Amino acid sequence: MAITRRAVVQGLGFGLSLPLVPRVAAGQSADLLTRPIPKSGEPMPVVGLGTWITFNVGDDPVLKDECAAVIAAFFEGGGRMIDSSPMYGSSQPTIGYGLRKLGYPERLFSAEKVWISDPDEGAAQLEASRAYWGVAKFDLMQVHNLVSWEDHLPALFDRKAAGQLRYVGITTSEGRRHREIERVMANEPIDFVQITYNILDREVEDRILPLARDKGIAVIVNRPFRQGALIRRFEDAPLPDWAAETGARSWAQFLLKFIISHPAVTCAIPATTRADHVRENLDTARGVLPDEKMRRRMVDYAEAL
Amino acid sequence: MKAQNADRRDGQRLMSDWATYRLADFLMFSPRVYFRLIERYNQDLWPLQLVFVAGALVVLFAIAARARRARAAALAILAAAWVFCAWQFLWLRYATINWAMSYVAAPFLLQALLLLLAIRLTDRVPMPAGRLRRSGGLGLMAFGALFYPFLPLLSGRAPGTAETFAMMPDPTVAATLGALLAQTRQKLWLLVPIPVLWCGFSGLTLLALKDAGAWAPLAVIVATFVALAAARR
Repeated sequence: MAITRRAVVQGLGFGLSLPLVPRVAAGQSADLLTRPIPKSGEPMPVVGLGTWITFNVGDDPVLKDECAAVIAAFFEGGGRMIDSSPMYGSSQPTIGYGLRKLGYPERLFSAEKVWISDPDEGAAQLEASRAYWGVAKFDLMQVHNLVSWEDHLPALFDRKAAGQLRYVGITTSEGRRHREIERVMANEPIDFVQITYNILDREVEDRILPLARDKGIAVIVNRPFRQGALIRRFEDAPLPDWAAETGARSWAQFLLKFIISHPAVTCAIPATTRADHVRENLDTARGVLPDEKMRRRMVDYAEAL
Repeated sequence: MKAQNADRRDGQRLMSDWATYRLADFLMFSPRVYFRLIERYNQDLWPLQLVFVAGALVVLFAIAARARRARAAALAILAAAWVFCAWQFLWLRYATINWAMSYVAAPFLLQALLLLLAIRLTDRVPMPAGRLRRSGGLGLMAFGALFYPFLPLLSGRAPGTAETFAMMPDPTVAATLGALLAQTRQKLWLLVPIPVLWCGFSGLTLLALKDAGAWAPLAVIVATFVALAAARR
């Protein structure tokens, strides 16, 4: 029988048998694997929470509560980084709704983006985002998809210097504009870079991830499952016999383990609408990680399917 | 100047990035969110849908009747339907999950204005349009008014996601294009682009959502151009 994500989370007690599972106390994250943010040494759990599509639920009260439950499970499991963007529709107010319900957990690491061509509008957009989240200030502000980065980055560095931000970064996705990303990484004092990296999309291994290590830039990985497509692609196939050696008990964990085991990666940000999937994702940040030899084996297996 | 430079720079980059995007990349919400939005919208306004279907039938019979005043009234009802769609669906609801809809509401209001201006044409334009075009137009109107509410049954969606004239853009567009084809012989070039563009957008959105009903708005485009081409012969 093929191992599906659903079967595994239920087998782990994360599904229908949830009431039988002891709740993880808020603040408990000591057992989650962390990586230091290179510029500060601040430890960051290697699994975060993305919000593209999944948190864009408009004003639907049922779906907003589902997202709030996802956020609650994320913090209960020891997560820290939540990432969003003004481009993500109603994701920002949905995050604010969830955070308000939880009383704004101290462990929150808020990662946002500025996404507007007109550099003069950047400050207003940032303030609107802050109001949606309901936070005093953002931990990390990134230039989304490099939009007007030449103008936005200096403004963000000024804000950081004034104590209005803690970190500054840039983002891209799906392999776009990597040469430009490299130039920014090489020439600008950014703290974070966000890129797409997964077991089938590994172009960043050649230049961007090594450059991030050289320059001391933290790496956030988006689209770890290609928006769920990788799980759908693999879930009918069996996990390899040796999957347990990677610490993975499902395809989602197998795919995430591969990403977070790269030494340059600081945090992967899978998005989901389900609290049980959040717990499963966070569980990836516990136990062993594959070494380089095992990572090559994982790639070979995935590419052969 | 700073903003202009940024716009030019980003425009050039966008062009180079364009080829790397797929249809699904433009979708920013899930099928569940979109169809729940329609269901909740229907629940909020029920039983207004019955009134609107009756309104669509009034338009259909008014166009079929060929009387000048009836045709003028039909265009006025269509204009009101476009305003209602823009306000209640695009602006108040769809824009909550797709920020682009706050911009699309303006062309909908423009279309309503154009339909009101077209009332003046009913004074001058001789009826009927070609027989094939006229029957095609009436068929499109019937498709929008009577078939569209049942589309979820064919698409495997919940009946609560039914789309009715004036409530939702697709049936409103189908009825409008049908009415224009059936009664107007000229100056369509000004009245057709917005409805056709919407059908294209809607069809692509439904394709990205993998909805089995995606064919419907695309079929409306095909039917419109077939009717127009037939009339030219």
